[in-house]
Amino acid sequence: MLPGVVGLVQATEAVKLLLGIGEPLVGRLLTYDALGMRFREVKLRRDPKCPLCGTSPTIKDLSIHVDGGAACAIG
Amino acid sequence: MWGNHYSPDRKWGNILTMKTLKEMLAEARRVVPEEGPADLERRLKSGDKVVVIDVRDPDEFRDGHIEAANNISRGFLEFRIGTAVTDPNTPIVLYCQTGLRSVLAAKALRELGYTTVINLQGGYQKWVQSGLPVVREVPMTPDQIQRYSRHFLLAQVGDKGQRRLLRSKVLLIGAGGLGSPIGLYLAAAGVGTLGLMDGDVVDITNLQRQVLHTTADIGKAKVESGTRTIKAINPDVNVIALPMRITVDNVMDVITDYDLIVDGSDNFETRYLVNDACYLAGKTNVHGSIFQFEGMATVFVPNEGPCYRCLYPTPPPPGLVPS
Repeated sequence: MLPGVVGLVQATEAVKLLLGIGEPLVGRLLTYDALGMRFREVKLRRDPKCPLCGTSPTIKDLSIHVDGGAACAIG
Repeated sequence: MWGNHYSPDRKWGNILTMKTLKEMLAEARRVVPEEGPADLERRLKSGDKVVVIDVRDPDEFRDGHIEAANNISRGFLEFRIGTAVTDPNTPIVLYCQTGLRSVLAAKALRELGYTTVINLQGGYQKWVQSGLPVVREVPMTPDQIQRYSRHFLLAQVGDKGQRRLLRSKVLLIGAGGLGSPIGLYLAAAGVGTLGLMDGDVVDITNLQRQVLHTTADIGKAKVESGTRTIKAINPDVNVIALPMRITVDNVMDVITDYDLIVDGSDNFETRYLVNDACYLAGKTNVHGSIFQFEGMATVFVPNEGPCYRCLYPTPPPPGLVPS
């Protein structure tokens, strides 16, 4: 049942984004605890040191993914 | 009998009191500011509030219009503007085919008390000539009008939103636990094109949660049973079955065709790959993941918010976290 809840949060966000309505979960992480039945929200910030979208990115193409899973070596 | 009305006196009298069309237009232009297509494009992209109204007749609108526009034909403008624009200080951009009908319409709205009414200079014609995007409305079938009638009742969706959904293309990465409910509901809602990407076949252990597939589907490709279920729910949906894993070699080619990517994958390798590819291609990625009794969801919009790597710079060592 858990995937249904999370999947439908994703589907709802998808429709909102397509229609340009409401407040999408941008910069917010919604967490769901099924046993406690609690939703929580964590604010997310862009990391200026992010290797992909930071101020001086080191990932500029997908070459790190070329030997399947090498991406996981990126710190 | 008409001759009697055209006595020289009568004719002279009319000329004194009538304005020529040219004078009316000149008068309207004096009070209505104009902006060109590029200015409107900038306004729309900035995200600032603006209401765009196409004042042409409905058949002209259907033949092609600016996507953001509402259609209120000139004849109904004064009657319906109150519903479309509640705050009289909201900037309103009006357009017609060439900018003449709309300049007169704009003057009328100013006289009703709307403070910022702008005429799109050169109208729709110039917008098209500038190479800016337009949309054409395919008429909905009677079945579609019934199927989506509950959406039409929602002010934020309406007929316009439904058409937008029908034109939209969403890629689902994974037709498993997350991809199943996402696929079912996006299909029911009338998202026009769903790309379904998964290289797996249905296994009996999937059926406890992967609701796109049935017992009879065991051994079939998930995209095959997924396509069948989606088409059964809503034949309007064009399902693009991609019976393969997403890899570094195909990801860029695949995502380029879609407006939105929804990541329902079940492993870190794919999440990083999808994240990186979506960022580099400027695509929004609707992310979700689950583990045992916990789940999370967020949306990564390139350069507007963080990406998956901002959240998890270092992937967990292989084997530590089960997928």
